[in-house]
Amino acid sequence: MPVRLLALIPVAVAINLALSAAVDAVGLPLFLDTTGTILATALAGPVVGIATGALTSAVNSLRNPTFWPFVVVQVIVALYAWAATRGGWFRSLKTAVPAGFVLGVIASAASTPISYFIFKCATTGGIALTTKLGQLLGFPPLGACFFGSFIADFGDKAVTFALVTSILHALPRRTAARFPFALRAIGAA
Amino acid sequence: MRRLHPFTLLAVAAALPAAAWIAPPRTGGMATVAAALVLIVLLDGRQVFTVARAAAFTAAPLWLFLFVLHGTTGLVETGLRLTTVVASSFWLVAVLPPPRLVEAMIARGWPVSAAFLFSATLSAVPALRVRAGHLVDAQRARGLRTRGGPLIRLRALRALAVPLVLSALHEVDERTLALETRGLGPGIKRTPLAPPPDSAMQRAVRWGILVACVAALAWRIA
Repeated sequence: MPVRLLALIPVAVAINLALSAAVDAVGLPLFLDTTGTILATALAGPVVGIATGALTSAVNSLRNPTFWPFVVVQVIVALYAWAATRGGWFRSLKTAVPAGFVLGVIASAASTPISYFIFKCATTGGIALTTKLGQLLGFPPLGACFFGSFIADFGDKAVTFALVTSILHALPRRTAARFPFALRAIGAA
Repeated sequence: MRRLHPFTLLAVAAALPAAAWIAPPRTGGMATVAAALVLIVLLDGRQVFTVARAAAFTAAPLWLFLFVLHGTTGLVETGLRLTTVVASSFWLVAVLPPPRLVEAMIARGWPVSAAFLFSATLSAVPALRVRAGHLVDAQRARGLRTRGGPLIRLRALRALAVPLVLSALHEVDERTLALETRGLGPGIKRTPLAPPPDSAMQRAVRWGILVACVAALAWRIA
């Protein structure tokens, strides 16, 4: 792997984990913990994206070990972001936001079995509460768990995709050209 | 315990959660939680309290969520397993400094890039978190409204996140230059400065743990 792409991975992991400060400041119910994974994939391809996602889960696990099993979701997000890069979905917000909504459905479907079989859906406060709401609405156990994950992921991934699109378009062309797929992602190459 | 080889510590920390899930929920969970607590109690003086408190603060919300969702039965069965995961992980973090793990990885012939990724990430995350805090303060000082309706908050989020990420991406250039200057590239091997000592006994213990986990799993499935 070229040194530049190797240097990108720790930075992208740090983006995944540091954006919580911005989220806390505005008080929105979002995670944005896949922003770096999606951005790294759009800039440098799926291998860099998957490495970023796996390393994010590993570093997060040092603080809270319950994050580790969700490494699968990070890998799926990276693969989806690669499809989005190749498909040109980062060219404008009109394509990025719906693509983010679709990722929200995929991510919640991927995280539901992990959340259900390992944690019995007791992962974070928000997800536990929405899962309880799903139980009260009469969903079966797995359905209630999916409902909880879906509420958390659906908007989060759309905002993340919109944010990554804004960042890719705000990136100076000279800087973007140093990464193999950045210009292609925004339709400039 | 700190003198043990990092791979032995990793094997112990991984075996406890594995055993918690393989063994019957209640008795197995109680046994693995007890084993993890014994490991924590064996830490150096002040660390015992710090690690036990951190593990309790992480596990307590999970117990609460489990009770709300599944009642007492779910709390006991899954709670004990999750407590094992949390307690053994915090024990591992306390006994295994990341630089020692990196040295062990390099000594065992892992690529330098893997070792670099691990250590560089651990230093990059706190630095960017500090920068994020400064950026929030700076934007607020310039009059950025971070409260109000959802659209106002989303605009504020963009105003905070985009500069933060762009500044982080500009850092990639500096890091690339620094790495190239230090000769990091594909196929280059490094000599570890202080490789952690390993022994035949510890290797046997690691293999024993693996065999025991596989045998226990086969016994449970049968």
